[in-house]
Amino acid sequence: MTAGGPRALIGVDTGGTFTDTVVTLADGRLGLGKALSTPGRVEQGVLDSIGRAAAGLGLTLPELLRHTVILTHGTTVGLNALLTGTGARVGLLTTAGFESTLPIAKANKTHGLDELDLTMPTRWRKPDPLVARSDIAGVSERVDVTGTVVRPLDEAQARTAIRRLAARGVDAVAVSLLWSPVNPEHERRLAALVAEEMPGVHVSSSAAIAPVVGEYERTSTVVLDAYVAPKVTAYLHALQERLREHGFGGVLMILRTGGGAEPVVQTLRAPVNTLRSGPVAGLAATAALAAKLGHANVIATDVGGTSFDVGLVIGGAMQRAGTPMVHRHALAIPVVEVESIGTGGGSLAWLDHGLGALRVGPRSAGAEPGPACYGRGGTRPTLTDASAVLGYLNRLGDVVELDVEAARAAIRTHIAEPLGISVVAAAEGIVRIATDQMRDLIRRTTIQRGHDPSAFALVAFGGAGPQYASWYSQGLGAVDVVIPDLAAELSAYGAVASDLNIGAERGLVPTPVPEAGTAVTAALAELTERIEAGLPGAVDDVVAASGRSRVLHRSVALRFYRQQRRIELPVSLPVGAVELARLEAEFRERYERIVGVGAASKETPVEVVSVRVDLMVAVPVPSPVVRAPGVAEPAGTRMAWFDGVGHRCAVYDWGRLPADLDINGPAFVESEQTTVVLPPLRTARMDTSGHLHLG
Amino acid sequence: MIDEITFEVLRHRLDAINDDAALVLARLSGSQLAAEARDLNTVIMAPDGRVVCCGRYVLAQVVSMHLVVRDILENYSDNPGFGPGDQFITNDPYIGTLHQPDVVVVAPIFVDGRLMGWCGSTAHQPDVGGPNPGGITYDARSIFDEAVPMPPVRIVEGGRLRRDIEREYLIRSRTAELNRLDLLGQVVANRSVVEQVTGLCAQYGAGTVGAVLDRLLERTEALLRERLRVLPDGRWRHVSYVEYRPYGSTAEEPETVYAVRLTMTKRDDDLELDFTDSDPQAPGAINAAYPALANFAIGSVLIYLCGGLPWVPGGVWPVVRILSREGTVVHARWPAGVAMSTAATCQAIRVSVNACVVRMLEVAEELAPLVMASCQAAGGGGGTVHGLRADGSAYATMTLDEISGGGGATWAGDGADSSGYTTSPGASCVNVEVNEAYLPLLYERRAELADTGGPGRHRGGVGTLHALTTHGTETPMTMMSFGQGLQHPLATGVCGGGFGGQSVIAVLPRADLPVMEGPPPEEGRLLPMPAARFPIGAGDVLVSVSQGGGGLGDPIEREPSAVLDDVRNGLVSPDGARRDYGVVIVGDLGEPAEPRVDEAATARLRDERRRDRIGRSPVPPAAGGRRGRRLSAALDLVPAAEGSQERDGAVACARCATALCAARENVYEHLVVRDESPAGRSPLGALYPGGERFVLRHFHCPGCAAQIDVQVCRAGDPVLAAVEVL
Repeated sequence: MTAGGPRALIGVDTGGTFTDTVVTLADGRLGLGKALSTPGRVEQGVLDSIGRAAAGLGLTLPELLRHTVILTHGTTVGLNALLTGTGARVGLLTTAGFESTLPIAKANKTHGLDELDLTMPTRWRKPDPLVARSDIAGVSERVDVTGTVVRPLDEAQARTAIRRLAARGVDAVAVSLLWSPVNPEHERRLAALVAEEMPGVHVSSSAAIAPVVGEYERTSTVVLDAYVAPKVTAYLHALQERLREHGFGGVLMILRTGGGAEPVVQTLRAPVNTLRSGPVAGLAATAALAAKLGHANVIATDVGGTSFDVGLVIGGAMQRAGTPMVHRHALAIPVVEVESIGTGGGSLAWLDHGLGALRVGPRSAGAEPGPACYGRGGTRPTLTDASAVLGYLNRLGDVVELDVEAARAAIRTHIAEPLGISVVAAAEGIVRIATDQMRDLIRRTTIQRGHDPSAFALVAFGGAGPQYASWYSQGLGAVDVVIPDLAAELSAYGAVASDLNIGAERGLVPTPVPEAGTAVTAALAELTERIEAGLPGAVDDVVAASGRSRVLHRSVALRFYRQQRRIELPVSLPVGAVELARLEAEFRERYERIVGVGAASKETPVEVVSVRVDLMVAVPVPSPVVRAPGVAEPAGTRMAWFDGVGHRCAVYDWGRLPADLDINGPAFVESEQTTVVLPPLRTARMDTSGHLHLG
Repeated sequence: MIDEITFEVLRHRLDAINDDAALVLARLSGSQLAAEARDLNTVIMAPDGRVVCCGRYVLAQVVSMHLVVRDILENYSDNPGFGPGDQFITNDPYIGTLHQPDVVVVAPIFVDGRLMGWCGSTAHQPDVGGPNPGGITYDARSIFDEAVPMPPVRIVEGGRLRRDIEREYLIRSRTAELNRLDLLGQVVANRSVVEQVTGLCAQYGAGTVGAVLDRLLERTEALLRERLRVLPDGRWRHVSYVEYRPYGSTAEEPETVYAVRLTMTKRDDDLELDFTDSDPQAPGAINAAYPALANFAIGSVLIYLCGGLPWVPGGVWPVVRILSREGTVVHARWPAGVAMSTAATCQAIRVSVNACVVRMLEVAEELAPLVMASCQAAGGGGGTVHGLRADGSAYATMTLDEISGGGGATWAGDGADSSGYTTSPGASCVNVEVNEAYLPLLYERRAELADTGGPGRHRGGVGTLHALTTHGTETPMTMMSFGQGLQHPLATGVCGGGFGGQSVIAVLPRADLPVMEGPPPEEGRLLPMPAARFPIGAGDVLVSVSQGGGGLGDPIEREPSAVLDDVRNGLVSPDGARRDYGVVIVGDLGEPAEPRVDEAATARLRDERRRDRIGRSPVPPAAGGRRGRRLSAALDLVPAAEGSQERDGAVACARCATALCAARENVYEHLVVRDESPAGRSPLGALYPGGERFVLRHFHCPGCAAQIDVQVCRAGDPVLAAVEVL
């Protein structure tokens, strides 16, 4: 790092279309960069995007990179390999007799299907397994629930099995044996044998990556890991190389599915941790931002092209998903909970003649040809087309010119004429149905889980969140509705704002709390040792760069006997009778708070099911330059329709809007990347940090 | 008239409210049945109880929940009455549940003093009392030997859970704590639905919300009628069998066979399901009372006929007329026992409706995407286990290993392998590690089993073999098996496809497991039928096989390359390829040689098969498309020639155009009938006493030898008129 310039933190988020960069400098300045994503050479888009951000700050790419202490990156390379079916040919080694665990997939034939497929039984089937049945090999061994070896590992037979997989041409190997979370010896040995027999091939071991009880989810997770590993590791190596070429000497961190970011060496060991990191970045940014605004509880909402995502921050913390999946495959690693429905800008509006209903989604127009207003030949109406027709949208970034006529024709032909209503009424109907679906999802993730939305602030981001937030936030009673600065680049900002987090979890054989002291103590010690032993030097660099110290969080997950709902609680050492009694009492109290008084029966035993240790280093982000109060004239006006009435609406420029000025709807606030729609009677006010609050 | 936009907003909201109720219930439940197998479901109902919103979990638990509501309306309107904040509990199979372990809790929804509708849920309980853990007594003499059911009782009054009634309910159960959590979950779920629907009425007006419920019912009925109207009128028949050893019969005599006989008639836009010819009831366990018949019949109509339509069961009811006779196995008369109905007679009801509906759908090519063969029925792996752990504590539960059988084949592809029941779409089997964590047992195997999928042009999904021993305890485990489908297969194929593999359940010395898994002896392996309760001791292994799904189409028309893929993946064995598909696989299965199809030998073998089917050389397939309207996937109804005697035309083979008979004749009597013992395809070569009474009856075109249909029947039974032109 060269002396002289202000130290920089960089966040880069690679999305399907754009790669966004946010740079924060120690003096509070912000740099933004946007470049087209470059499939096949993803690292090029990353460098382009950082280069643009550097240029905006008056720096060259090497100048910026030399001053950068931490670069945090969210990548979809692994997810894309999964979605396009272009991952590795994986071989799976598993306990002999249980080769069918993955294909049986617990008979989950409808998990993750959309609403339409759920009433079409001939489409009920499991996703195709990521490993061909013929590439699954059984290994003679068996461990029982106590960790006792029932059948020793037959090494000769194991080597034969490995050689057979090698001969079949597999290019990554997953290892998942029964009860390996309790006794990982056989798995470790097998992984070593694979390394001997197939040098250089990526090996994913379930005890290392997802040591939790439940062999199907654990196996699915290691297979996902092996499936994406070659692509993700090749990409990360290439990226590191290119960054170094351009003078980067700081720490490269990668966003994790479970929240936070980890030094890249950790990711290279378990690339599965990147698979669902996309929505997490936005949520992380939301949490950081809300904390600055004084909100501990936040509903984070993101409207994308094909989906609407909702995540919760409660007491400053992101929430864990109970039974997470990715592309219908089970994941047994910590995943930040983000609920999703297939309603986004590209969702198709269609008439359900049978029911007599106007419906929106779950099918979407996709990227090509996309909504009719993209002018790429799409003729079926989407939510975005409805917004275009109503005058809510004037542009979509700087890439697409809107073809409003095409949008109008699509809505007229497919919706308005068959229903005998005006195009405007049809378009407003589409917006209403879509935003009501969004609000239904918010209700389900809050009220239905015992959270009162009026104790929450709602944050709307993503390219289209600000367009629809006025509608979907209505009637929820949220204390504050915020469109953050950088709403469209929030994922990149979230990368900058993510703390370092290296976590390790270990599933326990469910044990009643009073009897769990020894097991919990041993597991905590083992996890702590494992984390510290595996620590890359990068952690020290992050400590130095952030000026914060490392913190160890220890927690246990408890639940009622065999129940699905688990609650994670922090645990203090030593884990003796006193601490165990406190944990059990706190569990019962928290349970009643969520579920209702009287729900936590005294007679039902509480059991410990897993133990986790997280090593965290906070990465504080400099405060932005303050926005001053003042007055503003609209940058222009345009016609838009609300409740069937055409209004000439003021259009304000986001960048020039002063703080504390009340804007009254109908009006628009636009930046290059996003449009905030304010219907009549809604108001908005910018704060001094540059976040817009809807009233 | 409510507009399309408001309607959609409210429709979506009501569905979301109902689905949330199921999630609330699953999250609160402490029982593995609710939490993992999702053995539960929730509904929102119209004021008269007709089900409008229906969850996607166990369909048959709720599609006829109006029976419970009607009982309350008829019997309790004055005494004890019901009002806002009340909820009723029942597990009475003679009133509205499938069997005693299914506990229903319903709540009226009042808005401004007016009854707006009802909501409710069903949750399967681990135990509801009676002589045996798990709630089922195999050899019951009557329902008094089972858990005595609780008719609807007002357990929540004005929002308050009645402590006295809660105790009265829980004292019956060996798992009172788990039942209590489920009860609480059901009460909380109902309360949340009532609150949200009330809020919706405040926002949109009760009249509007009521209109949405009405429209969903009306439109669903209209759409189903529309679907039926495009189909020609006709009558279809199917017989399915249940085996059971009623109280008092000796172990020496074979199990009694109970036939479920369905005659389904479609005229214009009405569908009639006539079960009146079914056999007289048994004294206990296997019977279905009327609500179980209604639930399974309507649930099956939803699954097999209503794909792509809104799933509003209350709208299906007016279209479907169910006929039955009290005192039969499908419509038991009090006090016959019924606790095992879901695993026994209800599966036969479901398979019968499946077979008849598919035969009806085969007539219309545009409805081909709905055609699906039968999935697994209850059997191997199904049952309750109980015993003592090493520390002396008792356990009693189900392993849920049965939820691993195959799904039925469709025109789009093979049936879903190891995918469980189609009627319980959300249900999962349980991780081996989860069962081993809570129960003193150790699994030796859990493996998809080759050749268990029903042979067909599209193969049925395979079933799964489980082998387990007791572990860490000296006490034997006791099992009570639901074991149907041991003497003959149950999962019917369609359009000429074969049956899915049958169930196996066996207790053997542990050392014999490899032998059992090896090639069976020529004469098969004769195994004892499971007794009412049987022990699995320290040196024993319990082997069970869940059934495969049914196939679709003639198996010797399956692409040899698809059979080869199945062989590579271990879903079909090389012997099975030859036996079931007439495909000759050569080459080593191990490395480095790859198996491949011997094309010439396959062609020869398939020719030979066709000759064997009809006893002479078959005629070649005819060129050109279908001649006349479809009578089934394989048969055409050819219009009568000008001036012909046969005014209604004639039936001809769709493949070779061979004329078979006049339209009004029973075409099955004009096909070549070939009866085969089911033993030849039984998994592991397992044979059970009584199995010799059954045959797999294959029907072939006398011209080209195409396989037109396969049925299970008793040897010597007359040929069923499975398809009748009206």
